[in-house]
Amino acid sequence: MDRRALFFFGAALLCLALVPLTPDTYRYVGVVMLIWLTVLGLLSHLDYRSRLR
Amino acid sequence: MEDVLFWLVVAVALAFDFVNGFHDAANSIATVVATRVLKPFQAVVWAATFNFIAFAVFGTKVAATIATGVVDPDVLTIGVVFAGLIGAIAWNVLTAWLGLPSSSSHALVGGMVGAAVAKAGWDSVIKEGLRKIGVFIVYSPLIGLALAFSLFVIVSWIVHRARQPRRVNRTFRVLQLGSAAAFSLGHGANDAQKTMGVILALLIATGRATEHAEVPLWVVLSAHASIALGTLLGGWRIVRTMGTRLTHLQPMGGVCAESSAASVLFFVSAKGIPVSTTHTITGAIVGVGSARRLSAVRWGVARRVVWAWVLTIPGAAAVAALTYWIISLVS
Repeated sequence: MDRRALFFFGAALLCLALVPLTPDTYRYVGVVMLIWLTVLGLLSHLDYRSRLR
Repeated sequence: MEDVLFWLVVAVALAFDFVNGFHDAANSIATVVATRVLKPFQAVVWAATFNFIAFAVFGTKVAATIATGVVDPDVLTIGVVFAGLIGAIAWNVLTAWLGLPSSSSHALVGGMVGAAVAKAGWDSVIKEGLRKIGVFIVYSPLIGLALAFSLFVIVSWIVHRARQPRRVNRTFRVLQLGSAAAFSLGHGANDAQKTMGVILALLIATGRATEHAEVPLWVVLSAHASIALGTLLGGWRIVRTMGTRLTHLQPMGGVCAESSAASVLFFVSAKGIPVSTTHTITGAIVGVGSARRLSAVRWGVARRVVWAWVLTIPGAAAVAALTYWIISLVS
């Protein structure tokens, strides 16, 4: 798997771990970051696969 | 005697702010100097100006968080504030000497917590406030990273078919003036307010202000003037810049990294959350570097940021607690 995608997924996991620790007022920041980093990871992986073809 | 101590601690807080500007100047001017948009001296004057005028743009919510949102204002005394400040400074000096990663912003929060705990135990810590600061220590570089990466990819996609690459380059060199100014504005807003917070805590501790008081204008102006002066005197001396230490930046990358980091700083400053401005721009530069290729990022520097997350608050808290106990024994 693409190392950059793994990096984004790792960062997304970090946000997932932080969401329950985040005060309610700012919890949306953690959720948005989780989704955003996951999407970046997926796009990065797709980009990597397209380059392999 | 109390007056002398009060002004002594104010002077130490402003010195802390000055050193912050001195040390962090490179963050905002590295790319404009590296790409020769401005000469080093012009760049530091540019950054210092925006550091200073940040007082007119942002409120003082970050200062309020530092003064009343981390530890219970009832436990604040000159001794607690002084120990907190000395804890932060001593931790920064110690880590610089040992070559360990640190962050002045986290050290200040850790220092205040350590001194308050030494005086009145764990109940004196406002857990919700500490939790907010703690999670944003991690969120702010990650937001900078994701924003800079996305922006760089979008901008690259827009300009990659440009028929005149030289013209594109020239456009981004000019845009860098704006992005460096924006980052300096964010840096001034967030970092100067941390010092304002310490002085506000001191005003509350000595009964010169109430818990809900606004930050006096002299505090706002002196904090912004200190950080701007530090930037002015420190920037040109710093040769090893953030831009070249983390990854080699072109004007387009510089614009994306600085404007992304500035956006994060505007957001957190408006919400009253103190964050590390250095870590935020580091995250953004890593974002731009990893958009090119992951190996373009010098991961050693990024790893130091992660270590600073873990070490700084407990380390500075321990030094501040020790300082408070020594002050208590002496007095």
